[in-house]
Parts: sequence; structure tokens; C-alpha cells
Amino acid sequence: MADTALIEVRALAKRYGGVVALENMNLLVQAGTIHAVVGENGAGKSTLMKVLAGAVKPDGGSILLDGQQIVIDSPNAARKRGIGIVYQELSLFPQRSVLANLFVNREPTRRGWVSVSAMEAQSRALLDQLGLHVDVHAPVSRLSIGEQQLVELCRVLLEEPRLLILDEPNSALNKRETERLFDVLRQLRARGNTMLYVSHRLEEVFAISDRVTITRNGRDVLTKDRAALTIPEVIEGMIGVQHDALFPPPLPPRAARAAERIVVEGLHNNALQDIGFSASSGEIVGLAGLEGSGVSNLLAVLFGTEGARGRVEFPDAKGLPKSPADAARRGVCLVPADRRRNGLMLDKSILFNISQVVFGARRDGVPWFNQATALQRARRQIGDLRIKARSPYALANELSGGNQQKIVIGKWLEIGPRVFLLDDPTRGVDVGAKREIYGLIRKMSADGGIVLFSSTELPELIGMCDRILVLYQGRLAGELSGTDIDNRTLLHLINTAEMPAREDAR
Amino acid sequence: MTALPERRRTRRLPEELGVIVALLVMMTVIGVARPRFLNPLNLLTILGHTTFLGMLAVGMVFLLAIREIDLSVGWIFNFSAVFTALLMVAGVPPWVCAVAGVGFGALLGLVNGALAVVLRLPAIIVTLGTFSMFQGLSLVVNNGRAVVPADQGSSFFTAISAKLFGVLPVPAAVFLVLAVVMHLVLHRSRFGYRVQAVGSNPEAAELAGISNAAVRLQTLVLMGAICGLSGAMYVGFRGAIDPNEGSDFVLVVVAAVIIGGTPLSGGSGTVIGAVIGTLIIQIISSGLIFFGIDATWSTFVTGAVIVLAVSLDQAVKYQRARRARRQAKH
Repeated sequence: MADTALIEVRALAKRYGGVVALENMNLLVQAGTIHAVVGENGAGKSTLMKVLAGAVKPDGGSILLDGQQIVIDSPNAARKRGIGIVYQELSLFPQRSVLANLFVNREPTRRGWVSVSAMEAQSRALLDQLGLHVDVHAPVSRLSIGEQQLVELCRVLLEEPRLLILDEPNSALNKRETERLFDVLRQLRARGNTMLYVSHRLEEVFAISDRVTITRNGRDVLTKDRAALTIPEVIEGMIGVQHDALFPPPLPPRAARAAERIVVEGLHNNALQDIGFSASSGEIVGLAGLEGSGVSNLLAVLFGTEGARGRVEFPDAKGLPKSPADAARRGVCLVPADRRRNGLMLDKSILFNISQVVFGARRDGVPWFNQATALQRARRQIGDLRIKARSPYALANELSGGNQQKIVIGKWLEIGPRVFLLDDPTRGVDVGAKREIYGLIRKMSADGGIVLFSSTELPELIGMCDRILVLYQGRLAGELSGTDIDNRTLLHLINTAEMPAREDAR
Repeated sequence: MTALPERRRTRRLPEELGVIVALLVMMTVIGVARPRFLNPLNLLTILGHTTFLGMLAVGMVFLLAIREIDLSVGWIFNFSAVFTALLMVAGVPPWVCAVAGVGFGALLGLVNGALAVVLRLPAIIVTLGTFSMFQGLSLVVNNGRAVVPADQGSSFFTAISAKLFGVLPVPAAVFLVLAVVMHLVLHRSRFGYRVQAVGSNPEAAELAGISNAAVRLQTLVLMGAICGLSGAMYVGFRGAIDPNEGSDFVLVVVAAVIIGGTPLSGGSGTVIGAVIGTLIIQIISSGLIFFGIDATWSTFVTGAVIVLAVSLDQAVKYQRARRARRQAKH
């Protein structure tokens, strides 16, 4: 292993409007190593990679390649310097053939004409190595997502980059494909290539990397040899704040309302099988599961955007809402995972957005928009939820992710919902705002609301929930409550649908 | 962590200011060269001419605001007018016919809306078809000839062709009242709020309990009703409806709305802007006549004004975005 720095990043900074993506980020990657960068969502990993790939211009800091300070002001400049990147999202042309995608913009020619046979010759060895046995003349859209991701990797590798950046490259790969990918990466390392590997799957990071840099809130927290690290250490570095401080304790119930319940029995549709559970007011019930496990389908069914059969009783003694409009009028609210797409009118003011449900969805009351009342509502939510905005007339677009999410929550709080369906409500939100959102969830519960809370971040579920329902391939795999809730059990149940063998029962 | 001190809402100039200035500049330029143009009688005539088309523009604002376009408006107008006139020929009292005409327009709008909602198709596709359907049916029932109600002594005809205060044609007055009412509906009513919400982000609106289907249906019915109102008044004003009247409306209507400043991207709209946009187009064609330029040029000039209007709009937006970006950096 050569002990020279291939690339070094010093005090990199980047802001998007009011959101800090990078703040004093440092990174040093030795030539010939696989260097992993880990961190929570929003820690700045992806922005760092985009800066290195020339897709994003930093506001400050410097980048050194082979000890020389360089400026990477475009993706082309990065390519010329020998930096190649495989993005998490595919950037292929779906209608064009595999070969056409592999040689985009640098098609080999023979006598001035693009030569398909030259493309085949140049790419065959690498495709074999990646185990990608597909028809190279077929359009990429016919390939599975995993295969497409390998095509993307192959395209970058054909440029023979000195530094290969992989931004969560295996999010769509199955186990076998992932192993093949790792084999290729190890071969590349043996040949002296350098790789930057971004992921939040820690087991894999530990399987493949030589060195690990932990990032948090746009800074590098710690860089160490992988051999000198343990997973709990890494998790601690990623989360940073102590759990107790991050998750506020339950509030004493302020039950002005009588206790209410949702009862679900034998719920099924094409994504769900025989789901049964109940949830009461004052309780926070977690929903966990892998992508495609049915968690989001279950929330959609309970909100009326998806249909399903089964016996369901809501607090108002009626069944499932027939539509989101019906749900809204019955006091059932959904905080969607993708707030920009599903929660906000970005080109409208806070005042407009806060009125979405209480004025827009309801049928009762005066049909005229009262500016003064709307202003009152907006000010109330800005105050209660501590939304940082210069005025109620500020556009939703101008706010940071956390404040945007608070508007989505605030618009529902205006109708005093009885049932809260929260679909990953802290996604892409900074730690400070997360803590505040946790506080809001506690308050919803203390005020007598029934809270169903899904999340992709397990510490969140463990820290907040009284009970956790785990879904696996559309059915209820298990339920954890009280002291049974711990990271290991939960992870096991989510990934295998089985309870782990008890250690004391060995 | 506390909320930042609230900054007062900055009193911005009305967004319609640009088109208002454009209108005044045009009138001044023509007026200086040909003072006869500024004669109030002439201006009121111009207003009268814009009425029937302008009413459709008012409705079209709502469609653009929900990211839709209704191509069939000209033929809803025509078919409703023919329907009204035929009822009059059949001996139904004219006032009843006029109300029925409005209802008939709304019914045609309902056809558009139902098709768009049930088939989950954009209105522009649906109305591409109904454009010809309504035209065809209208031609079938009027036999390709103008429909002329026989008894034009009714109070309906005298009322519509009267002039308020001796100067303002009644249809123009109705047009202005409609514009004011619809302006308030767009900005101050629940329906208008929903229109803006659905146009701004349909998915978020749906998940906030605002039914996209209902809003689209209601907007298309409203559009139809306005076409019906325009058509019924046209019969009262002209005393007849030609088989081809309205055939060229739709492009002018959409042009007027866009010149007025309603963005194609949806989410917002300006009724006042659409009214002024209609006036601008009308003044172009009347103004050219005053200069002795062949009226056939007016089509070209109208097109050029549209291109000019959207270029200016785009330039302003670009400047604003650049300023916002610069502010965000500091």
C-alpha cells in the first residue's frame, strides 16, 4: 500500500441557501486504498462527493491532488483529473443500448464512423469481470436496476479513473451482485487504484474498506483505520448526541379527550397480507421494515390513498377513510416522507401552506379566505413549532428542510387530528430540527393522539416508541414492546422476519 | 432557539403593473399619432368588442392556474349561443333561453370535466376531441346557417344592447363585473384557494385532503358556464349567431391570459392581467386600422406581442432568480 496522499480536502464549506451542507470538512485519501465515508442522512457525504466530482462548487476550502492545489469546476474537469463517480441515482439513457451508454460522448470511431465492434472489444473484459452477462445491444431499460447500476459502474471504470468515487453504489444490488462488486473493487485496489466508498450500511463498510472517515453535520468527526474501529464506535460518531438528550422523555398525558383506539384486523390488499394490530391514544407505535416491506402501503391504506379489505375501526367508529379528503375531515393526518413533493406548495407562502387542510380540505365554515385568520394561524404555528422564517409570507422554498417539515406538521396541527400517521418525518432533517420534531411527536401523543410512526432510522424508533410493529414482505413479522426493543433484535426482525435466538437460552 | 423577529410584509407592486404600463404606453403612442383613437366612444367600442372573448379569458385563467388548458372554449361559446338562439326560435321566452344557454355551457364543461377526470387525461387532450365534437354538433343543429331569433322586441335584446349611463355597453359592464367577481373568487374563496393549491403541487394538495378530481371538474364546468354566459349575451347583443363565430377564439384567449401574466406552470393566475391582455390584443388590431395598415397584419402583430410579453416575463424572472441566489450567498 503506497503511503502517499492521492487526494486531500481541506476545510471544505458549502451552503444551500440557509442549509449548511459542508462546514469545515477535511479528508485525506491514501493512494491504493479503499476509503469509506460514513454518516447519517444529511451529514454531508453526498455533497462532498459531488464537490470532488465537479458537480457542485464549494463556497470555501481547498482540494489537493498529488499535493497540488486544484480547482474542479465541472464534471469534465474532474474526469480530466482522473476522478470518476458512480452516483446513487442512475444517470443512464434508458432508451439507448448498453454499449451506447458505456461510451457516451467518447464513442470509438473507425474512419470517422462510430464503431460498435470497437466498443464491444473494449468493454468485453470488464463486463465479464463484473459478471454482467447481458445483451449489450439491448436498451438499458430492459435490464434490472442492479444490472443498470453495474453498467453505470462499468462506464466509469472504462475511463480508468485514478480515484473512483462510489456513492452508495449497491443500494439496488442484491447480495450476489454486491459481492461481485466488492470483488471488482478489491481487484482494482490490488492494481493500485484508489476508491472512495460512501455508504450507510456499516457491515459492508467494514467488509470492504481500509480506512473510515465518519462525518456529522458537514464536518469530519473521526478518521481511523478500519481495523482500529468497531461498529458501535462508528454509530456513536455518526449520531454524536447522546440518545437521552436526542429523544425527549414522554410527557405526562394531558388527556382532555377520552382514550381512543384504532383496531385493525385481517387487513389485506396486493401489498399487504393479514395485518392486525391496535393502537391507542397516548401511545407511540413504531412501524419498521425494509423498502418494499409494506410500511408505506399500510400508512397509505390508513390515510385512504390505497384501498384494502379487512375489519378496521377508527376512533370515530367508522372504517378506513375513502380518500385523503375523507381522512382529513375525520381528523386523520399523514406527514409524508417526501415533503417537497407530497407535503408543500413550494412556490407559496407559509401562510398559504398552513391553510392547506384547515381551509382547503374542509367543507364547513365560511367559503371565503380570511387573510387575518390565516395570518393568525401561520403566526401560531411559527411560534409553537419554532419555525425559523423571516415572516409568514416567506415562501416554503426559502426554508431549510427541518422548517419545511414543521410546516407540514403545523398544517395538520391546525385541525387537531386524532390520528397521526408519520412516514419517516425526520428524513433529511438536521439533528437540531430532529430533536424538535421528536418533541412534537411526544406532544401529539400526550394530547391524546394516536401516533403511528415509521422510520428508516432505527435509533429513532428505539428512542421514541412504546411498541414497534415490524413488517416483512407485506405481513406482520413481529411486535416488540418495552424492554424487548433493542437495536439487535429489531435489526434481526426487520431483515429476517424472525426473532433472534436469545443469548441466555443457548 | 426562537423564531426570528417577524419582518413586515413588504408592500410589493401589483404583479399586473407590467401589463398595465404596456397598455397605457400603447394607448399613448397610438393616441399621440392619431388623437381620434383616444375618443372615449372609440375606446368603449373597443371594450365592447373584447367582451365576449375577454370573458373566456377570465375563465381560462383558472384553467392555466391548475396547469390545464381548455381548447374547446370557442365551440362551447358557439354551441351555447346556437342553443340559446334555437330555443328563442322555438318560442321560449328569451330570458329563460339565456339562463338555459349558461346552463348548457356548464353542461358542455361538465362533459369535458367528466372525460378528463374519469379517463385521467389532461384537459388539453380531451378538449382537442370535444373541440371538434362541439363544432360538429353545433353545425348539425344550425344546418350550417346563422340562427336568427325572430322576435327581437323582447326586453332581453333591448337590455343587452343598451348602454349604461348612455355610454357603457351592457355586455362590457357584465364583463367587468365578472372579472372583479372572478378575481375575488380566485384570491379570496375556498374554490380559488384549491385551484391555486392543486396548480402549485397536485400531489401535496391531494394528500392535504383537496381532491384534484373535484377541482379539475369544477374548473372545467366553470369555464363552460362562462362560455355559455358569453354565448347567450352574444345572441342578445348581435341578434344572431353565425355558424363560425368563436372558431378562432381559443388561441386569442390563451394569448390574452399569457400576455396578462398568468404562468403556464400553474399555481397562480391573474384575472385582472387577463382582462388587460385581452384589451392589448384588441387595441393592436384596432390601432393598426387607425394607422391605415391592413387588418390582416394584426394577427402577426398579436403573435409578436405574445413573444415579446413572454420574453420580458422570462427576463424579469431570470433577474429575480439571480438576485435571490446572490442574497442566499450572503
